[in-house]
Amino acid sequence: MAIIERPVSLEVQPLIVVAPATPSSAMGAVKRPVVTKGWRQWVFTVDHKKLGLMYMATAMFFFLVGGIEAVLIRLQLALPDGKILNADLYNQMFTMHATTMVFLFVMPMAAGFANYFIPLQIGARDVAFPRINAFGFWALLFGGLFINLSWFLGGAADGGWFMYAPNSGPIFSPSHGVDFWTFGLQIAGIASLTGAINLIVTVLNMRAPGMKLMRMPIFTWMILVVQFLLAFAVPVITVALFLLSFQRNFGATFFDVAAGADPLLWQHLFWIFGHPEVYILILPSFGIISEVLPVFSRKPLFGYPFVVFSGAAIGFVGWGVWAHHMFASGLGPVSVAVFSISTMAIAVPTGVKIVNWTLTLWGGKLWFTTAMKFSIGLIVLFTIGGLSGVTHAVAPSDTQQTDTYYIVAHFHYVLFGGAVLGLFSGFYYWWPKMFGKMLNEKLGTWNFWFMVVGMNLTFGPMHILGLQGQPRRMYQWTENRAGEGFFNLGFWNLIASIGSLVLVVGVFLFLVNIYITARNGKVAPLDPWGARSLEWMTSNPPKEHNFDSIPTVHHLDEFFHRKYAEDANGQMQQVATAEQVLKQLEDNADAHIHMPSPSYWPIILAFGLPVTCLGLIYSIPLAIFGGLIILMGTFGWALEPSTAPDSDFDPPSSGDTSKDVVHVG
Amino acid sequence: MNHIESTSDAVPQVHMLGRVMRRLKPMVLGAAGTVFLASCASNAPQDTWVPKGPNAQKIDSLQKPVFAVAGIIGVIVAVVVTYSVIKFRDRGQPIPKQSHGNPALEITLTIIPALILAVVGVFTFRTVFDLNKTSDTQMIINVTGQQWWWEYDYPANNEYGITQPIITSGQLVIPVGTKVMLRQTSRDVIHSYWIPALNGKRDAVPGRITINRLEADEPGIYAGQCTEFCGLSHANMRMEAVALSKEDFAKWVSNQLKTYAAPAENTLAKEGETVFLNQCTRCHQVNGLTRADGTPVIAAPDENVWSGAAPNLSHLMSRNTFAGAMFNLVTPECRTDVWKSESLTFGAKYLAGVDEPCLNQTDLRGWLRNAPAMKPMYANPALLAATGGKYRGMPNLGLSESDIEKLVAYLLTLK
Repeated sequence: MAIIERPVSLEVQPLIVVAPATPSSAMGAVKRPVVTKGWRQWVFTVDHKKLGLMYMATAMFFFLVGGIEAVLIRLQLALPDGKILNADLYNQMFTMHATTMVFLFVMPMAAGFANYFIPLQIGARDVAFPRINAFGFWALLFGGLFINLSWFLGGAADGGWFMYAPNSGPIFSPSHGVDFWTFGLQIAGIASLTGAINLIVTVLNMRAPGMKLMRMPIFTWMILVVQFLLAFAVPVITVALFLLSFQRNFGATFFDVAAGADPLLWQHLFWIFGHPEVYILILPSFGIISEVLPVFSRKPLFGYPFVVFSGAAIGFVGWGVWAHHMFASGLGPVSVAVFSISTMAIAVPTGVKIVNWTLTLWGGKLWFTTAMKFSIGLIVLFTIGGLSGVTHAVAPSDTQQTDTYYIVAHFHYVLFGGAVLGLFSGFYYWWPKMFGKMLNEKLGTWNFWFMVVGMNLTFGPMHILGLQGQPRRMYQWTENRAGEGFFNLGFWNLIASIGSLVLVVGVFLFLVNIYITARNGKVAPLDPWGARSLEWMTSNPPKEHNFDSIPTVHHLDEFFHRKYAEDANGQMQQVATAEQVLKQLEDNADAHIHMPSPSYWPIILAFGLPVTCLGLIYSIPLAIFGGLIILMGTFGWALEPSTAPDSDFDPPSSGDTSKDVVHVG
Repeated sequence: MNHIESTSDAVPQVHMLGRVMRRLKPMVLGAAGTVFLASCASNAPQDTWVPKGPNAQKIDSLQKPVFAVAGIIGVIVAVVVTYSVIKFRDRGQPIPKQSHGNPALEITLTIIPALILAVVGVFTFRTVFDLNKTSDTQMIINVTGQQWWWEYDYPANNEYGITQPIITSGQLVIPVGTKVMLRQTSRDVIHSYWIPALNGKRDAVPGRITINRLEADEPGIYAGQCTEFCGLSHANMRMEAVALSKEDFAKWVSNQLKTYAAPAENTLAKEGETVFLNQCTRCHQVNGLTRADGTPVIAAPDENVWSGAAPNLSHLMSRNTFAGAMFNLVTPECRTDVWKSESLTFGAKYLAGVDEPCLNQTDLRGWLRNAPAMKPMYANPALLAATGGKYRGMPNLGLSESDIEKLVAYLLTLK
């Protein structure tokens, strides 16, 4: 459905629209696609909801890939002198595990949620630049596949996800793995940048009438902060990756010590990106649970402005802490002291969030759905990660902890206990919205407990391992350094490995739940959770145009306030059902709703990127060919008509065209 | 009016929190107890909570209270969340008042952690500068990392009887109670020097010199491990710091400066010297070794190895380890004997060096037979296009068993 024409009621005067002067086809041949059935509805779509789902499916795929890598790592380390992987393969494995989980799972999953729910939460019908949105998705997918292609072409990157120079140089990493890694991340970075600009413009310009910034749902706020972080952080890693690519492929010497380079340059560039990246990973989940906790506590988020401003504060202070990743690199006491203090400072706004979530529960009327369980799990487990973070904000203490398993424990509590649990909370909370069916709550509870127990068994012992001096990134550990007694490394390594299998069961239960739900899940009621924000003020799943009429916003938690009002005694009483609220919107449906047409060009343009990069690694003519694809994609994009002509649509009755008539009343 | 309302709103909540905190006391003590218990257990040799020198001690005194405070806050959050989950679960109570928060409480709960962190910050600040002090250095050792071993270079220092530079590897030997400054760098990628019992880690960065300080209170061996990912055999790049009493250190120095004693003619060791001259001196230096014509042998590792260095094997048998401290040069029993000995007897045992009964023949012979099979290294000549044929690590020399027999006999003479 690209265009919805409603029977015009007599009272409404049709606006006189001057058609923009665009050609009816790009390059004289290619029109806009109109099919809404089959694979083409996905491949050429520009619909933010479809793209959101595609982002999520892609991220879920890479989550499984990264999970397999993680399990291989843990199997290797379960016993001393592990033999499952050799040193080379192990180094590739931990590099790709981190790369996959950070860039190809958490980021795209958050992007998927953002894509799907930002327009819905702000009462918009799509994002500001739908075709760029589609391009971003395809670039991410192709970038992710490109990085993983290296497994089949001589080995993946083996320098760690931080890829420190000079170990990443051509001498020390002679396979093409690092080349695939740099170019693949470069492509994924383009996706992040375009996505960031798109969402910033969308949030700032396309909010429903009455939705002031301080009435925006907190998830939208956190995503907005993340997009600003992306917009400024990704260019830094882009520069670093370009320097590395030129060193590896064209003989540049940016990190060549013999030529006078300083390898610390890479570290600064990487962490100026890398630390904000941490907040890019965690803030979306903060946003998700800030939606979920109020809904299932039946009261608003405690201290909404504090959560907003602490999120924004994290977005600013997050730029001033990067060197805490380099406390051992010999920066000198002044830098170390300053970054130590700034790192402690960022703990304050983070702590504010913990306090607010906890006080949101306080005095509430708590309903322990699976989504709620994951959110409460996040509060506790993220707190553990945050507190261990404070112990290495203390720089001298960090020099004992950095590059040991204590750090691995810390960031897994932050990223698994924080980011991942938040995303799972989002799955359970928004599944009925996205698919119109309820995920099985019973299975969800099992899923939750297996994941929480699994993650504590896996990452909890790593605190001990690290404090007992086991460094990271070792393909084997030895009995010689394991010690005896309660804290011996052997026992806790084994526990961690067993825990990872429990975690696998947890994730597997989620997949089972998806399958069962898809087969015969309960059809979701319109408002299964008693939700508070705009994305629930439409059908499940939402119509392509999201809202029949754009609601006018009077409150934070607008949907709740349309359903409930205070009675004379100050008690909240239901005044309308969700169905009634929705009916009201439908009754006032807009007469003309023009949705963007699908387009061929985003996927073509995005496809040119990996072809070019493959050419840069293996043969320049191929790169030129890829460049031509990009050029063609750009021209096609620029010259194509803004919409398909009416004559391209089949009659409405056939039902499989992009033009449809909505029958109201 | 507004003001009064907000305070009255805050009181019950603060009060409740206070009550919860009072109930928490035993748990808090329990958490602190666990922390204390953990600090007592000395388990793995690289335990970061068992300082054996003033630098590590300073870190430890700073971090223990931070761990305790963090633990207490963690317990408080967990308990408050658990309490809320139990207390406020849906029992059919009416929908709560849609209060958007309580700024006074909020600000209080922002300021308290900020104050705690400010206190931690002050002590951190002091310790950072304290640990970086170098003006009272008593001894300097140059430490150079390369894939995948450490070289120790003692510049001439009359105070300690080091009349000419000593170059060694595998074990860093230092006198106790001496403020030692390590001047660290690297010949290839970034490595990191870490002896947890003596100090935190400090990277060795190519093209830079970084400063690390060690001081041991008592004689003994302190384990460490390279902690900056440095490629294929990062896991096998270990170190051991050996602290000797000042008298024992003087003995160690004089042994290292002892002139080369060639094996007696017509012994297996003498034949081993010939094998060594033919096979090993391309990379490995043994100070004082001469060719048959009497010219001194100067190793040229820079022609064969990318880092341009290979361990100097003079007085090899004075060390307990080889191959970047990956393998013990001594048998497990002899190793335990040295590692577990009392600090009074430690020095004598260590200085006795490695003799034939104690020699770990298995690993040493395996290493001579095919080093890359024992330790992953870039030593396959077919894969060295990027380095112009130079190895990273030790190649397989294809020695015959009789050559190995001779070499072992020879190496045993390098006391």
